[in-house]
Amino acid sequence: MWKDYLSGYIKNNRTSGWSVRLSALICALLLSLLCGLFYNTWKYEVERIVLEEGGWHSRIMGNFDQEDLDTIKNFANVKEVLLHEEGSKGAEASIDMYFDDIRSVFSDVPHIADAIGVSPQKVVYHYELLAMYLIRDSKDTAPRLVFPMFILITVLASASLIVIIHNAFAVSMNARIHQFGIFSSIGATPRQIRACLYQEAAVLCAVPLLVGNLLGIAGSMGLIQLSNVILGSEIEGRHRAIPSYHPLVLLLTLSLTVLTIWISAWLPAVGLSRLTPLEAIKSAGELQLKRKRNSPFLLLLFGVEGELAGNALKAQRKALRTASVSLILSFMAFTIMQCFFSLSGISTRETYFEKYQDAWDIMVTLKDTELNTFKDTEALQNLAGVESAVVYQKALAKRLVTEEEISEEMKAFGGFSHASERDVTPMDGGWLVNVPLVILDDNSFLSYCEQIGIASQLDGAVIYNQIRDVTNPDFRHPDYMPYIKIPRANENHTSVLRQSGKEDQTVEIHVLAYTEEMPVLREEYATLDYYELVHVIPVSLWAEIQGQIKGAEEDCYIRVLAKDHGSPEALNTLQDKIVQLVGEKYPVESENRIQEYETNNKQIQGMKTVLGCFCILFAMIGVGNVFSNTLGFVRQRKREFARYLSIGMTPEELRNMFCIEALVIAGRPILISLFVAAIVVIYMLKLSYLTIGEFLAEAPILPIAVFMLVLSGSVALAYHLAWKNVRKIRLAEVLRDDTMM
Amino acid sequence: MEILRCEGVKKVYGSGGNQVTALNGIDLSVDQGEFVALIGASGSGKSTLLHILGSVDKPTEGTVIVDGTDLSKLNQTQAAIFRRRKVGLVYQFYNLIPTLTVEKNILMPLALDKKKPNQEYFEKVVSSLGIADRLKALPSQLSGGQQQRVAIARSLIYRPALLLADEPTGNLDQKNSKEIMDMLKLSNYNLKQTILLITHDEKVALEARRVITIEDGRIVSDEQRG
Repeated sequence: MWKDYLSGYIKNNRTSGWSVRLSALICALLLSLLCGLFYNTWKYEVERIVLEEGGWHSRIMGNFDQEDLDTIKNFANVKEVLLHEEGSKGAEASIDMYFDDIRSVFSDVPHIADAIGVSPQKVVYHYELLAMYLIRDSKDTAPRLVFPMFILITVLASASLIVIIHNAFAVSMNARIHQFGIFSSIGATPRQIRACLYQEAAVLCAVPLLVGNLLGIAGSMGLIQLSNVILGSEIEGRHRAIPSYHPLVLLLTLSLTVLTIWISAWLPAVGLSRLTPLEAIKSAGELQLKRKRNSPFLLLLFGVEGELAGNALKAQRKALRTASVSLILSFMAFTIMQCFFSLSGISTRETYFEKYQDAWDIMVTLKDTELNTFKDTEALQNLAGVESAVVYQKALAKRLVTEEEISEEMKAFGGFSHASERDVTPMDGGWLVNVPLVILDDNSFLSYCEQIGIASQLDGAVIYNQIRDVTNPDFRHPDYMPYIKIPRANENHTSVLRQSGKEDQTVEIHVLAYTEEMPVLREEYATLDYYELVHVIPVSLWAEIQGQIKGAEEDCYIRVLAKDHGSPEALNTLQDKIVQLVGEKYPVESENRIQEYETNNKQIQGMKTVLGCFCILFAMIGVGNVFSNTLGFVRQRKREFARYLSIGMTPEELRNMFCIEALVIAGRPILISLFVAAIVVIYMLKLSYLTIGEFLAEAPILPIAVFMLVLSGSVALAYHLAWKNVRKIRLAEVLRDDTMM
Repeated sequence: MEILRCEGVKKVYGSGGNQVTALNGIDLSVDQGEFVALIGASGSGKSTLLHILGSVDKPTEGTVIVDGTDLSKLNQTQAAIFRRRKVGLVYQFYNLIPTLTVEKNILMPLALDKKKPNQEYFEKVVSSLGIADRLKALPSQLSGGQQQRVAIARSLIYRPALLLADEPTGNLDQKNSKEIMDMLKLSNYNLKQTILLITHDEKVALEARRVITIEDGRIVSDEQRG
């Protein structure tokens, strides 16, 4: 009997069926996407751990003979035993053990250690890897968040989907309260009614559930592939992710989707089955207000149609909750995302790419190389296509700055009173400050001397004598002033550098000049520690003093400015030539400005695409809900419309009411989103010290407008279709209906 | 003065073999201030006639003139405006707008015309119907009898040429039925309101001064009482 009822109902109420199907499809798609992404992330993490640390399960250290090795190999659960060379220290050997059943690692290894006479302290476990298989030991105290995070995110996603999609079931079920009242009055038990509703849900959702899962799997694989395309091998330490799937994940996803959809159907079904036959028969499934509501704003703007539309929307509030939440979330997320990327783009361009356009085109890091051992400076500087090349190394020293040395301007903003103890140490007679040493190759240092207008010589340092007014936090428009007073000609022109961490070791160097100009490098100084006093020195001077003050970084850098620095091809060719020249003798890493710019753009585009997809998904849920609601208007609201018409509302006025409802449904999320986005943008502008004009000049008006127009258009279409159905209502027929109450 | 005239009104539903004739040549004339009861069994065509008189439906044949307006010539919009201004409809199940307060329900026909109510008349109507203290309530907060009074108040607010009541006591108990009938009579007497009441209940019909009986879509008797 139920079978006949269900097939008949589904056949004759295709629209409400489609909204349930769409909800189930979106639910399955999202959960499958989430599980697929998690599985791939998990697999990637396992691969990363194995690549970086090895795939061993337990490691044992000690002095072993062949008999010990045989004992370990012959242990029942041991799959493989390998001698780990890097881990072996002196006479002690380190053995990596792999197990067949890794769940018994923590019980087997102590027995193995005991059998070969090794103390438990000499045993280590690969906790990070084991935790990826949910094998934990109480001694592993590190937080392993992959699974808890997955469970938390999945539960949240599932709960959100229940909140969102249960409404589609509720709309479809509540439309038939009257029918179920009749069933109930002739003896159908609540259980039978629930069973009928579950069967209906199962029939409607079976295909969308499978299709959604398949789409989710494809989506997760696509996103992993997209991450390979976007990030590729350009991110250091990243290996290529191979998209894959596991039948167990499919089983888990299907179970999770079925559970989520079942709860979504169960919530309204339980409510409906609990109604008494009388309540159910009396119910016309009509929208009611529980308490008095006013819509003064709509009344003022649109008159009585506005008020009726406002009240109707309030009465439909529950049914439209999904649409409201989804549309607000998608509008807001999309608008804020666009504004954020726009602002971040302006900021990155101004503070990074534009700023360094004339500073560097190619950067080469010479790994573990001392500058004074690098012999190819001249060859590099003479390479075709090179405008200028600087080879430099960085070191850190300390220096005392006395009260007398501080400039009057610096004193005016408080001297060292704003400095944190991390950067500046007050001492007897002054303050100990950080001195970054920029060690240039001799040629570059001589050019630098020319650049700042002093006699070219290699026997001293140039002090970058500028400090930022630390009381002005605007990093985009800082005020600079002299740091220390420039000594007169007859005064001492030296600087006493101290070894960082061992400040009693000092060296006195001659100061050639105090300048406001740094050599053109990629680095910026005094951005985090405002009080550091940069000394630029030639490598020949460094060779003399490095024994006393040490503190040099391990790597050297080559900063190259190309002659043709606008062309990506030219830069790539030059980069290859440079790597070819220096790469044979030194371990190098290189980067090129345009490539970095393009990678940055790709990453942002990738993020935008992924986030945009989520916004579209939310929007689809919202618009789907609007459609499912409006397509049910004839069934659900015909009595309401008949009432309006019977007291003299014209069809045009009814249509106006529809337009107002559509306007509110689409307009409210837009207004809320724009309001919130404006607050967020103002806050971001404040943080980034960009002006409103700079933002407005590049504000993402077009994509936001297109997104909003498409969504508003979809809402308008939903109401237009609903109106086409509603206008077919014959008032006399509705009024003849006995159930009209 | 004649307020309503029907000539040869015929209403046929369906087509071909499924044709049902609901009204079959109704001729009827009602003068201003009359209180007429239209009585008939279920399916006799009385509700169809009321829908046609209220411009909710159109006759297949014949002419219906209410207060000088030929209803057969009205398009949808004109018919709606006619319903708003010229007729007051009272239904068995009240047909109040559940999302609006009693006051707004009553004033709805005026609001649709963007007209302000005559406060004196409004107060007279609501106080004579005994709902003056329930104006801010929602329909769902009222009893059946109170809801029907609100429906009557709404039908009277525009001072319509014709008040059409379709089984107005059909959903009420005896006490409330009597009260509603008393109110209809009162409005007929005090406001000179022309009323056409449809009922299948002979006792209710006898409250009117003229009783018309309808059977199988035809008027079979038309009696004037005291």
